[in-house]
Amino acid sequence: MNALSITGLRKTYGSVAAVDGIDLEIPQGCVFGLLGPNGAGKSTTFKCVLGLIHASAGRVLFAGAPLEPGAFERIAYVPERSVLYDWMSVREHIEYMQTNFVGFDPKRARELLEQLGVGDERKKVRALSKGMRTATAVALAFARRIDLLLLDEPTSGLDPVNQRTVLNLMINEAAQGTTVVFSSHQIGQVERAAERIAVMQRGRLVLEGVVDDLKAGRKIVAGILPTDDFSINGFANDARIGRLERNGRILRAYVTEQPEDIAENMNALGAQGLRVVDLSLEDIFLDAVSPKVATASIVEGV
Amino acid sequence: MPVIFTVDPRSGIPIYLQIIEQVKRSVALGLLASGEQLPTVKQLALDLTVNPNTVARAYRDLEHDGVIETASGRGSFVRANGSADAASIAAGRDVARGEIDGAVRTAKSLGLARAAVTELFESSLDRWLPEAP
Repeated sequence: MNALSITGLRKTYGSVAAVDGIDLEIPQGCVFGLLGPNGAGKSTTFKCVLGLIHASAGRVLFAGAPLEPGAFERIAYVPERSVLYDWMSVREHIEYMQTNFVGFDPKRARELLEQLGVGDERKKVRALSKGMRTATAVALAFARRIDLLLLDEPTSGLDPVNQRTVLNLMINEAAQGTTVVFSSHQIGQVERAAERIAVMQRGRLVLEGVVDDLKAGRKIVAGILPTDDFSINGFANDARIGRLERNGRILRAYVTEQPEDIAENMNALGAQGLRVVDLSLEDIFLDAVSPKVATASIVEGV
Repeated sequence: MPVIFTVDPRSGIPIYLQIIEQVKRSVALGLLASGEQLPTVKQLALDLTVNPNTVARAYRDLEHDGVIETASGRGSFVRANGSADAASIAAGRDVARGEIDGAVRTAKSLGLARAAVTELFESSLDRWLPEAP
């Protein structure tokens, strides 16, 4: 059974759809990275999933069951903007968490706060820097015994050392079976910590999959054709090729799966100087969110 | 744990394949001896700051390829089957095969004929693996 199952999730504000029909299945123990440009609908999705804002349509299941108040005992959520109380000290937050959550471990919270460099727990939250607020919110969340962690930009404002610490906390939780869903603009972090990713754009999912499988499948296969007017009929219609660019004798195929096969086909076609170019997650992300060049115009003259 | 693995997560090469390659190289070179224990999935995930399922996937494939064996509850070990060298020879062959395959493909795509590639291979063999006089 999946830890989180989202079907047809929508949130509209007037005629604008902030979340426009999202389907996602997140297995238990998975670290799932949600990527997308600003305004793509990532934060709205988090809030809809948790019922913090009312979804216009769709269904969300936690380990197979709809959300009920008791479920929050096993779910932790760190929103994009800190929800700590300015007028309370860090210690008061620890006490507050201890009162409100059965599985909260104050000793663990203090260890994590120490590790993240939030030294003095007598400090009021208003006296903390933005990064230290994030660190405090993250430490409080990770000090709970939970099944599901939802982190909206958990590393924003953190220095590189603390960013790494937070990634390792996520990895540690996942190794114990906790499901972690996080959003980030830092693709390098997602590339490390996440097993699966989804890319959102304008409220929709434009790409989803296991990071390593996306990298294994998505390559640029480039070659040089024998002549300028060489026919590549048939090759152009291969479903495994997302986009084909041709400039005279130079042929570039943006392959989405089985790049080795495509390279072999291009080889059989008589292409020379064959290269299979690896794509980083950043390349794959940018390709997913950038406006597609019309394939027809590129293939013209084929 | 004497062997330090490193991965480049920004590379377009899947992380689990990078781990497999490095374990095979370490076994082939004897850095990981026959019967030696590998770090646990969790430990290696934390050491490299990569996803535990990614490390687990690499270990599963390594087990499938006969390089390591996993005893449930005890961890993963470099396979010690009969000859102590069997695992290291197999691992070395896997790594070398991948590189030779790539080299031949490059040569072919640069327009070299079979005879020319054979000639290059022979000169390379003469240089690095000369036959004993």
